Amino acid sequence: MEQKEFLDTILPCKDTLYRLAKRLLVSSDEAEDAVQEVFLKLWKGRDKIDNYRSPEAFAVTMTKNYCLDRLKSRQASNLKIVHSNYKNSDNIERTIEGNEGVELVTKIMQTLPEKQKMIMQLRDIEQFEFAEISQMLEINETAIRVALSRARKVVREQLIKQYNYGIS
Amino acid sequence: MELAKIESLLDAYFEGETSLDQEKILRDYFSSATIAPHLMAYQGLFVGLKNAQQEVSEREISLPQASSNSRRWWLSIAASAIILLGVVGLQFSGNQMTSEEQQALAAFNKTRETLLLMSNSFNKGTQELAVIGQFTETKNRILK
Repeated sequence: MEQKEFLDTILPCKDTLYRLAKRLLVSSDEAEDAVQEVFLKLWKGRDKIDNYRSPEAFAVTMTKNYCLDRLKSRQASNLKIVHSNYKNSDNIERTIEGNEGVELVTKIMQTLPEKQKMIMQLRDIEQFEFAEISQMLEINETAIRVALSRARKVVREQLIKQYNYGIS
Repeated sequence: MELAKIESLLDAYFEGETSLDQEKILRDYFSSATIAPHLMAYQGLFVGLKNAQQEVSEREISLPQASSNSRRWWLSIAASAIILLGVVGLQFSGNQMTSEEQQALAAFNKTRETLLLMSNSFNKGTQELAVIGQFTETKNRILK
């Protein structure tokens, strides 16, 4: 497979991989590193890419595995999670509009367990079908629905709490 | 969009039972200007999720050049050529002696010649000494 053909296949899902990596690793720097690393791995194994039903799903699985490994080794070395580089520049305006829930959603998502975080990311932000998510995360669809429901409810609860605090 | 439908979609959404199409209806509703006051708290959720999809990676992907294999192949050829040249060159320079070495060789040859000459003369001397051996033999015979 030539480089151009490879990039034509994989590059369209680069941002999806990046957002998933960032959701898990929080730092955008580390997320960029993760994407680069996953692309390198895919490039080295490019002869096998055609064997997979969906290169995109395969790439997401690799990104997930890479990030979970990173988190594990981070935990092992007791590194603190560097909290984060959200772009806060337009925050003030949004607060005035009473619309701070917009930024809040992703912040609340950070508090979810990894599995729920990934499922909510892939479903509510990337809008994949349950069947696709099941293939990507190697979890069956029923379990995905259960975890997703749980994650959405936690986010709702936190949002409403913040919202009521904001208007009272 | 009638409110009752949105409300039932919301319930299904939190149970994880909505389809992608239904979730799109929810996102569209909460992006619109006409949100029922008691549902305002959900606006941030759906708009936030929608906005989260706008985030993009800003770093270029760099892949190793496809020609890297042939370049490495070139490198190994070049390396072996240099080694070969080195070895051959060393042997050539071994044959070409410096003038000092040539003088030393000439001196060595001359010395060898001289020593050879000397040894020849010695051998001649020993042959003549053999006669003395004969003399002793004869003397022993007589004086027994």
